[in-house]
Amino acid sequence: MHPDLAPRGPLGRLLRALPEEAQPPYDFHEFRRRAAAQMETAHSSRKGHLLATAASIAVLAVVLLLRLGLSPSPRIASGALTAPVVVTPAGSARPEVMERWLAGFPEDPALVRVGTRAAVTGLEDRIAQLDDLLSAARLERAQRARLDALQQERTRLLGALVQVRYAETLADAAQ
Amino acid sequence: MDTAVPDEVLARACLGDETAREAIYRTLAPATLTFIRRMVGQRALAEDIFQDTMMALYERLPQFRREAPLGAWLRQIALNRCLMYLRSPWQRARMRLESSELAGGCAPNMLAVPGYRGESIDLERALATLAPTARAVVWMFEVEGYSHEEIARAFGRSVSFSKSQLARAHARLRAWFEPQEIRQSCTLI
Repeated sequence: MHPDLAPRGPLGRLLRALPEEAQPPYDFHEFRRRAAAQMETAHSSRKGHLLATAASIAVLAVVLLLRLGLSPSPRIASGALTAPVVVTPAGSARPEVMERWLAGFPEDPALVRVGTRAAVTGLEDRIAQLDDLLSAARLERAQRARLDALQQERTRLLGALVQVRYAETLADAAQ
Repeated sequence: MDTAVPDEVLARACLGDETAREAIYRTLAPATLTFIRRMVGQRALAEDIFQDTMMALYERLPQFRREAPLGAWLRQIALNRCLMYLRSPWQRARMRLESSELAGGCAPNMLAVPGYRGESIDLERALATLAPTARAVVWMFEVEGYSHEEIARAFGRSVSFSKSQLARAHARLRAWFEPQEIRQSCTLI
């Protein structure tokens, strides 16, 4: 086959003469199944995207408030946060400072939000578990590295708890 | 894709009748897949674009105004989907990477061409050696009858882009058919 490929006609004729697919790649039911799966994926990805965006905005707001060092409202200031706490990023604060700060928050928030409360209790449970592990490790005279790792994890969780409680308190004050 | 869909089937499909929609699928799907495969080359990718195209068809079916045959309308949807793929920055970066990897060698997708019978297999193989954009330009110009201006608009490029893509593709196809020694050095089958 040595066609003259330069002009538009001959190549076009040859290309048009190429054989077509005889069958669809899959039948209609399979097409429908795939379409439903795609729609489902698109839906859950949209939902996940919205949730992630909402969570990011919330975290950003908390971080901004912490960074700006905004003082809590008079109601909080007069009650719980009277201790001279220096506002630092929770992750880099010393555990004892964070503990003191946590102790200064009101015991029961004015408005209980299920999601926030679940996050708080979850974090508190994990800190309690780590306390048990730390006690056991100290009794067993575990290696220094293990103790440090547990302590670091506890500090990290404590930082997260401080952030959530602080955001919760600010939200209450804004009501 | 000139297979006619009866008006009565089309009317029922527009109202959401699944049997009618299945009939349309059986009638138009093979030609649609063929067209997409010619445009993008790879079979697996063609099937993905085919799925999107058919989903778009059923979504927009109630808006079909019957100014052209349904097959032509579907072909336009398929063409737009292929162009979206070919124009995507990710795809263009991938094509650049592949072309640099393949510089001086043979296109690996030569081997991915399903074994059609007869002389057309040569042309299929030759087409498979073209870069995806060049193949799409050749197909749009030679088979679909688009002008260079229309192709340039479709790709968001200049008219000289379309002309140079076509000229290079012609040269490559000519080289495929004329000097047998080149083809032998590249034949991996």
